[in-house]
Amino acid sequence: MLDTQPRLLSVGTANPPERYTQEDIAERFEIPDPRIRNLFRSAHIQTRHLYLPPVDERGAPTETQGALLAKHLRGAMEIGPQAVERCLAPLRLKVTDIDYLCCITTTGFMAPGLSAHIIREMGFRSDCSRADIVGMGCNAGLNGLNPVSAWARANPGKNALMVCIEVCSAAYVFDGTMRTAIVNSLFGDGSAAVLVRADPADDKRFAPRVLGFNSQIITEALGAMRYDWDEHHGKFSFFLDRDIPYVVGAHAELPVDRLLKAHGLKRRDIAHWVVHSGGKKVIDAIKYNVGITEHDVRHTTSVLRDFGNLSSGSFLFSYKRLLEEGKVRRGDYAVLMTMGPGSTIETALIRW
Amino acid sequence: MYETLRFNEQDGVATITLNRPGGNCISMQMVRELSSICDRLEDESKSTVVVLRGAGGAFCAGIDFDDFDPNAVMDIHGFNKWEKCCTRIENLPMSTVALVDGAAIGGGLQLALVCDQRLATASSIFQAPEVKLGFLPGMATFRLAKYVGLGIAKRLLLTCPEITAEQAADYGMIDAVVDDLDVGLNQAVHNLGPNHNVAVQLTRRLLNECYATDYQNALGHFLAAQHRAISQTAFLDTLKQAKKSD
Repeated sequence: MLDTQPRLLSVGTANPPERYTQEDIAERFEIPDPRIRNLFRSAHIQTRHLYLPPVDERGAPTETQGALLAKHLRGAMEIGPQAVERCLAPLRLKVTDIDYLCCITTTGFMAPGLSAHIIREMGFRSDCSRADIVGMGCNAGLNGLNPVSAWARANPGKNALMVCIEVCSAAYVFDGTMRTAIVNSLFGDGSAAVLVRADPADDKRFAPRVLGFNSQIITEALGAMRYDWDEHHGKFSFFLDRDIPYVVGAHAELPVDRLLKAHGLKRRDIAHWVVHSGGKKVIDAIKYNVGITEHDVRHTTSVLRDFGNLSSGSFLFSYKRLLEEGKVRRGDYAVLMTMGPGSTIETALIRW
Repeated sequence: MYETLRFNEQDGVATITLNRPGGNCISMQMVRELSSICDRLEDESKSTVVVLRGAGGAFCAGIDFDDFDPNAVMDIHGFNKWEKCCTRIENLPMSTVALVDGAAIGGGLQLALVCDQRLATASSIFQAPEVKLGFLPGMATFRLAKYVGLGIAKRLLLTCPEITAEQAADYGMIDAVVDDLDVGLNQAVHNLGPNHNVAVQLTRRLLNECYATDYQNALGHFLAAQHRAISQTAFLDTLKQAKKSD
């Protein structure tokens, strides 16, 4: 029987050129509140790449919602294509080789979606199928990988490309409250692309097969993470409930155990855990509820440290670091795990 | 079923008895069998306490040099498997008790250290002789100082003295010297009840990690672990009981 399971053949990432330390940002916006300044001093995030706005004489940013949306598109068209090029280059593929494009974003709404812009900007074929997943938040990378993998499986030999593009600095509201400060101190800008193909000719490649997915939505926490309209500021604003990291942690075992059980596996069979870099609290909550170690989440924490929370593409940055580390061996299993609004936990099982 | 050990479960207590002639030395076969028992304990067992002890008047006299070929190129894989096995025992989802009667030498000492509690008879002896033999005392370099302090650990690991159970208890390396291991075990099992294994496991994990992290990180870990513990039936039952008593 031919192996038509889709494989993750390549991954590429990109960030805006400007990188800031947390101190840089606190200075730039002249944050007076010591509690908020402390947020920016937390050691778990050290640097982030951002499209930071100009400031007025009081050190406050001046972007309107219209300016934020324009920044989102402008930034997305810089980092999205870079991630795509870095993903395709190792495979010697051109954008005209891509048969299906799925773009994921939560940090800016538009029609047509980013996929149309990417196709025009980069010169994809006009018959390239496309989909946009918009507004699903930090978990969306796996919500996208699920149908992208299914498309690849249904179209053996064809190239499917998923691109997560998040310009989180286009979702910032500066109003001096802890609510917005938590968001402003946490999220960074970045894009990650992954090439998925189901082709028996790839059997000899050292690339993991995508074996399955499992989801857990926590409907009672539907409002705990949300990005909705703030009438007062005339902007979209992100809200993170104080307790949601622990609520997510408390439910994390459920999809993991279902995913593993479906494949006859135990947690000890998993060699690698690729967890979304959502923030220190949620990473801790996942560790102590799923029973995984600091070593298991080393790339999750290092990506958080170096980039902040990159939302939907974050887990692919960790995945890339895992590959670059060079310790993955043929036969190893990995669990991919993302968490976000819904509240939702998404998981996937892959094997090299 | 096992070549190097015996295993039985009774009344909520699972007992692993190391059982090899010549002091229950650690062979790769024993490592494989200990790992297999860890699978069994994690997957199937209803026991709340795991006991580790030795047959034939010794606890464990260290690694078996017969597994090494002096003419072959040395590699580290066997040591890696052994250390992984120790970590699995250390993290079992049950409380663990080492019952030492006789020699606990080298890797045997480490097997005792990975357990939550250590009881020993007065005639037991403890030693980490590896440095005198030209190799390293395993991850006892990581564990021993946490029990006895850095100064004593250096002396024990660098000069390799044979110490008595009484000295080991003085150093904090073992919990008690007992006349009868089974009586001591019954008391230990009694003291461990009622069993709330999530609270036990998380507390043990935080303790094991406490030397390797800073306070702010440890606080984050504690809050995550505590949220898990207070969401369990055991704590909710405690709350209900407290309400009834009001």
